[in-house]
Amino acid sequence: MTISRKCVPFTPFERELSKSTIAIVTAGGVHLRDQEGFNIADELGDLTYREIPPDVDSSQLMVTHHHYNHKDADEDINVVFPIDVLRDLESEKFIGGIARKHIGYMGYTMQLKAMYEGTAREIANDIDKSSRADAVVLTGG
Amino acid sequence: MAVQREIEMKGIPTVLITVSPEVSAQMRPPRALYPDGFKIGNSLGKPNMRDLQKKVLRDALTLLTENTRPGDTVTRAYPDYGEYHEPPRVRKGI
Repeated sequence: MTISRKCVPFTPFERELSKSTIAIVTAGGVHLRDQEGFNIADELGDLTYREIPPDVDSSQLMVTHHHYNHKDADEDINVVFPIDVLRDLESEKFIGGIARKHIGYMGYTMQLKAMYEGTAREIANDIDKSSRADAVVLTGG
Repeated sequence: MAVQREIEMKGIPTVLITVSPEVSAQMRPPRALYPDGFKIGNSLGKPNMRDLQKKVLRDALTLLTENTRPGDTVTRAYPDYGEYHEPPRVRKGI
């Protein structure tokens, strides 16, 4: 196995979870039912992403992704996008709150350079500028 | 994953829940939790098992406060999941 020799970016977490706002970023192809689905017809993958609002009704979320079996996510989106779980942790005061913006994208692409230098940076910019997240939990793969 | 690294470079701490630990290890995640034996598509566990999902999410978030080594993945067992799936392996050599 080849391990990347690139250094690992690491930001220490210097807050308390109970006072922190958390965002979810998933590679599981999650989006709102009324948002455009990901393009699964293009074998190169889809480099776009969808913004998911904090007050979303989880029944309005769905998955478009052809590289994993998302039957379980279709039944309960929280298995890949734990927004209701996060709400439970907020009401238990385990976390401080839910971030203003969450992200779904399709974590499968043959266009690695465009993903690394394009989409990944765009998502990070978006989270940085408008989610007000103190920390991010990612799911996928 | 590239997205995690980019967010971390913005100065926002992150934690990844991975169900393909060998594959995600190649990207040296800043922090990662592998729920042992969970299958792809079940990052938090099975549908409607909210207590299990909460346990996994609490553990992932708690890694933010622990002294983990950047690039390493922490493996935890969740017997309530009730199944064991071998994670995908990284192909070696040609």
